[in-house]
Amino acid sequence: MHAFLRRLRVDVRPDESRAAAFLFLYFFLITLTFSVIKTVKESLQISVNPRSWWVFDLGTAVLIGFAVAVNTRLLNRLPRRKYSSLTLGFSAGCLALFWYAFDLYHRRIYPFPVLLVFVQSHLNLFIYAFSFWSDVFIAMTITQFWIAVNDIFHPHQAKRLVGFLVTGGLLGGIAGSAIAWSLPKLVAPHYLLLVCPAILLLMIAVVGLVHGEGERLRGGTEAGSRPAGAGVGFLESLRTVRGDRYLRILAGVLASAVLVGQIINYQFKFVVKAQGWNDATRTSFLAMFFSGVLVVSTLFHLFATGRVLRRFGIRVALLVAPVVLILGTVPVFFLTIVTAAAVPTAAGLLWASLLRGADKLFDTTMSQSVRELLYIPIPAEIKYKAKVLIDMSVNKFALGFGAVLYWTLYRALSFAMKTPEEQVRTLGVFVVAFALLWMGLIWIIHDEYLGKVKADLARKWQDGHKVVDANVDIGLTRRIVDTIQSRERSATLYVMNLYGLVQKEKLTAELMEAIGLRGEELKARSMDALLGVDGEPAFQGIEDIITDKEFDSVVREVMALPVYKDVMEKQIGDLVTGKSASEVARMEAAKALGLMEPTPAVIRELGRLLRDPSPEVLNYALHSAAAHLRKEHVPAIVDLLENPMTRQLAQDTLAAYGPRVEDVLKKRLQDREGPPEVRRAIPDVLARLGNQKAADALVAELVAGDEVLEAGLIEALYKVRANHPQASFKKRRIAAAALSLARRNAEDYLAAAEAGAGREPGPERQAAIDLRTKLLFDLLTLIAPPEDVVKAYQNILRGTKKSVDYSLELLDNILNGDLKELLFPLIESLPPEERCRRLRKPLRAPRPR
Amino acid sequence: MDIRTRDHQGIVVFDIDGEVTISTMPQPTLHQLIKDQLERGKRDILLDLKKVDFIDSFGIGELLASYVSTQNLGGKLKLCHVSRKLFLLFQITRLVTVLEIYEDCDRALKSFGTP
Repeated sequence: MHAFLRRLRVDVRPDESRAAAFLFLYFFLITLTFSVIKTVKESLQISVNPRSWWVFDLGTAVLIGFAVAVNTRLLNRLPRRKYSSLTLGFSAGCLALFWYAFDLYHRRIYPFPVLLVFVQSHLNLFIYAFSFWSDVFIAMTITQFWIAVNDIFHPHQAKRLVGFLVTGGLLGGIAGSAIAWSLPKLVAPHYLLLVCPAILLLMIAVVGLVHGEGERLRGGTEAGSRPAGAGVGFLESLRTVRGDRYLRILAGVLASAVLVGQIINYQFKFVVKAQGWNDATRTSFLAMFFSGVLVVSTLFHLFATGRVLRRFGIRVALLVAPVVLILGTVPVFFLTIVTAAAVPTAAGLLWASLLRGADKLFDTTMSQSVRELLYIPIPAEIKYKAKVLIDMSVNKFALGFGAVLYWTLYRALSFAMKTPEEQVRTLGVFVVAFALLWMGLIWIIHDEYLGKVKADLARKWQDGHKVVDANVDIGLTRRIVDTIQSRERSATLYVMNLYGLVQKEKLTAELMEAIGLRGEELKARSMDALLGVDGEPAFQGIEDIITDKEFDSVVREVMALPVYKDVMEKQIGDLVTGKSASEVARMEAAKALGLMEPTPAVIRELGRLLRDPSPEVLNYALHSAAAHLRKEHVPAIVDLLENPMTRQLAQDTLAAYGPRVEDVLKKRLQDREGPPEVRRAIPDVLARLGNQKAADALVAELVAGDEVLEAGLIEALYKVRANHPQASFKKRRIAAAALSLARRNAEDYLAAAEAGAGREPGPERQAAIDLRTKLLFDLLTLIAPPEDVVKAYQNILRGTKKSVDYSLELLDNILNGDLKELLFPLIESLPPEERCRRLRKPLRAPRPR
Repeated sequence: MDIRTRDHQGIVVFDIDGEVTISTMPQPTLHQLIKDQLERGKRDILLDLKKVDFIDSFGIGELLASYVSTQNLGGKLKLCHVSRKLFLLFQITRLVTVLEIYEDCDRALKSFGTP
């Protein structure tokens, strides 16, 4: 089954094949029946006096309300399979009865003459009844079909398959039209009604197969087997729609589309009437027109609907219809196309046919497909209440509203006195007005739709940087650990660290406990163990001295003494330039320089220590450089980015400088002759600066296309976006970079898969592709809502089947077509040969021999 | 300081021996070694600190950078066999709120299987 569908180019997965095929057959049979019944109904209606035609419209509108109430109640009480089967069985019985009644009308002899006389004298009653029944039947069966689609597929599945299913409907319509056209040549038209019960009984079997397949896909649970809100009726459905903004807008979209179509239909009738044809010619033209629309719709649907949906998404697919209809209406305001000097024109007929044809074409293909998709993110218990009401009542209400509008126009504005040209123009104003309303509602519902899809997606994990920033004071942690460690290296270093710590942090009981200053039992147990010191701490009582404000004043006064500066500068100078100074002495010197006033000698000696070979000395020197933030030290600090032992602290120190180091960093970043490790470490610093200039520098380097830096640049840009939402990015440049990255990733996958004879790439190659995909998502946060992109990525990686589908649906609506063609084959659940097939097209890669 | 890597049913275990300090850190560093594993597609990382006496500020930086790299790829980095004094250090510096720490490695290994 799957191979057959794939040969037909249906975008179906192996486990969906049977369900898709059964639903295709289901919809084919529904529309086949629908076409036959509709033809018989129209024919019977025309046989009634035109003065009574309004009864058909009004009666249908009223009865649809009751039908919705009954349908909703039964839908909520019965399992879906049982309900559909019962409906179809009941309809088959009704059709047989209608056939019998119409057949009696044509008989001359019957065993019960009273019944024969009654039927023959009250035929109109049976025609009304059949007309009302057929409208209700059509609405109910089509609603049940789409509910079955909603039960079985998730949004992204449905989006892929809806084109295939609607094709089944269109083909069924053509088959039904062919039967309705050919059979009356052989037998009386009412015999068409006998064809339908046979089809309906076949449909009961198909319904069984459809729901059986749905249960298999859901793992054994029957849709609707647990009644959702039993006892809920029409009013409850109405309350549900009224209480939900999304559903109200959805109803508005449908109503405005129906209104526009109805007014265009009036225009069409005016133009056809203006031709002055006799009944036979007019009927012949209409038959040709409707069958032509159906064929063109089928072809359009086969070759365009799916592609437009995949490439441009839901919003564009929905907007095509109103935009084309507005553009098609505009010429009538400026040109004389309907009648020239009271003579009908061929151009007028062509214009009206194209406009009406376009409306029917989009309504039965793209708009119908997308409208069904819009239901998918609605929770099941709400969906079934709302869908029945919207599908079965709103369009009838809109038709009724349109009829009243038309009636008002006729009565209030002397419409009847106008020429056909003027009448068509007046109606054109309403077409444009309602089409604009329709477009506005489409715009709103698309945003709401994305909101509904997103509502079901949650982050699977938090950003690592944010978790650390929120929970850990890294600066304090470092100072504490350095203080603890220095205790074992040198008493001087320990006291200096302690003094530095006290300058930055209030010496709380907790902090004193951490650094081993209190003699309580708790501290004695923990810190002695922590520091590996036996007995009493070595610096008992120091906390009182070091936290004493007077002590701090004394230290500051001493450090400010000119003689102190002279002595210390000389002592440190000798120590730094001398070759015999120990590592600990240099560490002490580096620490002391951070505490001293930044005289030229202090800055000079600190510069020298920033070139020290010992990483521990460099650790202290970098801390001291961060205390003074002198530009003379920047080159040495940048050089320390090369050393993995000092890189992180050098990055922190440069970030502490702020925007002052931007130009230096930008220059070193662009220096392709410079050490690659230095260049790789710079984007992180620029990201922490986070201003627009830094963001621009990162983007410029990314666009320059240096692959050595690519990963670091993208990670840095992601950080800028995450931490500095005010930063702006030129979307076109980022989109180009994203496309380039996606293309390379796709090429890599295709090359690896083809080298492995169509198998998935090996684990290491796959890991590289996965990492590049992660980078691509990071980059996409710059041009699409970041939270949406992150949630989609995380759910594709770790989500349930449903959340993966919702993530793909979300991405489908926020990314552009070229990017989707390169990205989706890699993130969707596909067999490798299918991934390759889908990647070859955007990569323009030939199929391997 | 010595770092050895082994695989336990898809979980990469780093056995660390010695002080994790700036002066003892080997090249490539712990963070680089973990990044290498992440680049190979591994996402579950366990650091066995049974033989670690002390971690300095550089070592803390390496641990946190490793945590961030793993977390951002949807992976998990956990610690086991943390000595009492190291655990106290992690408590005081609030690192316990970020790092997932287990007394023994078997429990840590089992914990990777649960969400």
